[in-house]
Amino acid sequence: MERVEFQKLEFISEVFTSGFICLWHAVASWTWDAHDETCGICRMAFDGCCPDCKLPGDDCPLIWGACNHAFHLHCILKWVNSQTPQAHCPMCRREWQFKE
Amino acid sequence: MTADALSSVCNLGVLDSLSEASVSEILESWNSFCLITEAIVKGDDSGLSSSYSKFQSYVSSLCKYGLRSLVEEHFLISLQDMLEKHVAPKFWKNFDAYSNVTDLEENDKDMQEDEVELLLCKALEEISLEKQYQEKYLLMLVKSLQLCKDSTSMEGHPSDVEKFFFSKYQLIVSSVLMTTLPRQFPEVLHRYFKGRLEELSTIMAGNYEDNELQDGNDMELYGKGKHATRFGNMDIDGSYDQKKILENKLVRNIGMVVHNLRSLGFTSMTEDAYASAIFLLLKAKVYDLAGDDYRSSVLESIKEWIQAVPLQFLHALLDYLGDSISYLSPSSMKSPLASSPSSCYPGASKPSEGIIRWQLRLEYFAYETLQDLRIAKLFEIIVDYPDSAPAIEDLKQCLEYTGQHSKLVDSFISALQYRLLTAGASTNDILHQYVSTIKALRTIDPAGVFLEAVGEPIREYLRGRKDTIKCIVTMLTDGSGGNNNGPGNSGDSLLEELNRDEENQENAGLDDDINTDDKQAWIDVQRWEPDPVEADPLKGSRYRRKVDVLGMIVGIIGSKDQLVNEYRVMLAEKLLNKTDYDIDTEIRTLELLKIHFGENSMQKCEIMLNDLIDSKRTNTNVKATINQLSQTGSESREREVSFDIIDTTIISSNFWPPIQDEVVNIPEPVDQLLSDYAKRYHEIKTPRKLLWKKNLGTVKLELEFEDRTLQFTVTPVHASIIMQFQDQTSWTSKNLAAAIGMPEDTLQRRISFWISKGIIAESSGEDSNDHLYKLVDSMADGGKTGINNEELVADDDAERSVASVEDQLRKEMTVYEKFIVGMLKNFGSMALDRIHNTLKMFCVSDPTYDKSLQQLQFFLSGLVAEEKLELRDNMYFLKK
Repeated sequence: MERVEFQKLEFISEVFTSGFICLWHAVASWTWDAHDETCGICRMAFDGCCPDCKLPGDDCPLIWGACNHAFHLHCILKWVNSQTPQAHCPMCRREWQFKE
Repeated sequence: MTADALSSVCNLGVLDSLSEASVSEILESWNSFCLITEAIVKGDDSGLSSSYSKFQSYVSSLCKYGLRSLVEEHFLISLQDMLEKHVAPKFWKNFDAYSNVTDLEENDKDMQEDEVELLLCKALEEISLEKQYQEKYLLMLVKSLQLCKDSTSMEGHPSDVEKFFFSKYQLIVSSVLMTTLPRQFPEVLHRYFKGRLEELSTIMAGNYEDNELQDGNDMELYGKGKHATRFGNMDIDGSYDQKKILENKLVRNIGMVVHNLRSLGFTSMTEDAYASAIFLLLKAKVYDLAGDDYRSSVLESIKEWIQAVPLQFLHALLDYLGDSISYLSPSSMKSPLASSPSSCYPGASKPSEGIIRWQLRLEYFAYETLQDLRIAKLFEIIVDYPDSAPAIEDLKQCLEYTGQHSKLVDSFISALQYRLLTAGASTNDILHQYVSTIKALRTIDPAGVFLEAVGEPIREYLRGRKDTIKCIVTMLTDGSGGNNNGPGNSGDSLLEELNRDEENQENAGLDDDINTDDKQAWIDVQRWEPDPVEADPLKGSRYRRKVDVLGMIVGIIGSKDQLVNEYRVMLAEKLLNKTDYDIDTEIRTLELLKIHFGENSMQKCEIMLNDLIDSKRTNTNVKATINQLSQTGSESREREVSFDIIDTTIISSNFWPPIQDEVVNIPEPVDQLLSDYAKRYHEIKTPRKLLWKKNLGTVKLELEFEDRTLQFTVTPVHASIIMQFQDQTSWTSKNLAAAIGMPEDTLQRRISFWISKGIIAESSGEDSNDHLYKLVDSMADGGKTGINNEELVADDDAERSVASVEDQLRKEMTVYEKFIVGMLKNFGSMALDRIHNTLKMFCVSDPTYDKSLQQLQFFLSGLVAEEKLELRDNMYFLKK
């Protein structure tokens, strides 16, 4: 009962008329909403981060290609830079274009 | 014995050559000699001085005939006879009163003290007189013999003859006394010395105090003086000089007694007596000073006392006796204290060998006594460790001197087993004691060898407790130690420990590093010291590094991963229940833990904290932009206000421990706000989306009653429940459950919170399965439901937002259940190790088996509890 320290087991026995919320501290989790679990390049979770990063989220964003395949930005950049002259999507072998 | 009889022993040829006249001369001389001897021995002193010349002539005439040995023999035998028959019995008679002295003992001890003193002095004086008297005539004989020495000329130097006689006489005296020694005499001596010493120590204590407090008032001095007077029978009124005199006189008296006793041949007995008296006094003093107070160091004052009283006494005594004791001490045996001449000898320029020997003996004894005393109480000392540090310091010094560490280990382990490692002690207390033990023993023994020995039983015991990890983590993270009645500040000190280790850890890290450069390696080599003799060779010296508290604590659990995992769960719980974003203390703790456990293992925790920081930023951002929008737009005013009440913690769920999901319908307005919030978030952070965990979080509520408002901080579920009652004052449990969107039994558990507060009343409705909840609407009603208060169950586990480590483990282990069951089907029965090894061997792919033996054991015991398995003689069976 840690959360009710405020009025620990105090018995009120009075008539309650109305309630009012002062603060609602909610909890949520974020997701990239990539319709897939893991990055096709590093096999790490999308909601996690690529192997080179420490912190997920803003520091390790996802990027979608024109073909609608998502990857960690860092992963696909590495891939694209290693492919000359034209990079292809690692998943569908289509020409890689960043989605607008 | 007659002359004939004796002469028959002598050379018979000589007898033949004796003339008639010579024979008669011999006979006459002999008879007269015997008479005088008898007179001497009887102590008939009167006419003897005149007969000295006669005596001399008889002796010389007897010597002339070669009867010298006969004369000597006869004289000594007569003396011995006298001693045996009269002197010794008379002397011992004095002590008859104490024949059953051991029985009398305590009750009239005080009364006897003075008596013993007087009696002993008197008796000794008497016997000494007697002895002097006999010695006088012995000297006479010696002189007579010396006169006729020329004629016989068979002895060497005259002083040699004298020495020879006196030592022979001394031997006779002591052997006579020894053989007739009554058994109470040593006790009498002991008692005498004890009395004297106590007296002396009171005087000395007086002096000592006077020196300390120069401005001590006269009243006190006077009191002290009177005190001393009572003992010493002296008429003084307590000034320092007179005390000095008194002291000198006392020592002189004692010296006299010792001197007399020595001359009677009781040298060793006397020494024993005063030594034991001194030791007794010292022991009493140590007990008195040390007592049960561990907050101050007593060693110094004991040493000072040794200097001030017994050594002073011995010094005076040995001075008085001219230090005639022949100590065979080799001069190499110097104490460290002797090398620095103490200022406590006012007169002496350099303490004699004898005094140093005494000092060493006394100090060793004091150390040993104090050490035994402290070891016996070590458990208590460690219980109030930070305060009892002086006592620990004392003990350390004692042990350095005596080297009896093993005594400490044995005694402390048995105390631990008896008092701490029992079912009644809470894990928290055991851990606190463990930490204190580590800290305390670290002072005593920096190498950690004894700590290793002492800690092992505690660790062993703690490993068997389920909540150990949890307690450790609680101790690490918050100061209160998780237990309200536990000692509060120890947890803080563990955190402090983390802090303190910070710089040490840098070095320790280097130690463990394989790639240490050569220079560092060389330094390490130079620093190497052999293990103490007591070290257990089975345990490698690498154990010695683990003197840091955290290392030892982690050593209980075996692996840091378990600890980190538990910490993560606890951190998650804590973070999710925060209403503000204040995580400074958590960040600090994490930084410290990172130093200790390494960055990698704390990575996830760091992300969790980072989530909180990000949440704060995002939260402000989202709220600011929503408010802007609503100001520019024509949204309802109501909403604008409402958005201020929303705060959000946005977590990266992959890095948090599994979170318990529970469906709950939160109040409509709030739900609306949250979806707006999520929308806005999506706009700002495209393409990221928010997934609400509506059962988590904290809600601050203000409930208005007729005459006042009350604030509550509750979970969203509780808030949802009470908000439902705003529109409708009574609900059946079925309907309410449907409205909230949760199962009925969960609802019943949750609503008990409000029932216990007396805000909602429960009554059974028409349907027995359907409870009726309604708002309490009168005082009377409230009173009635108040009785139900006790029914409140504190279901902590159910309220946790994060799945506990055990739950996680159970979930992870279920995969292996069918393996285990299959194995047991094939093999019939298996021991824990075997199951563990088999799993390790065969479960290599997909769900790789990476659990520890303890985790497996925990899981198996769960299965046993579910009656799927059976455990007999450490073997697991399938339940039939």
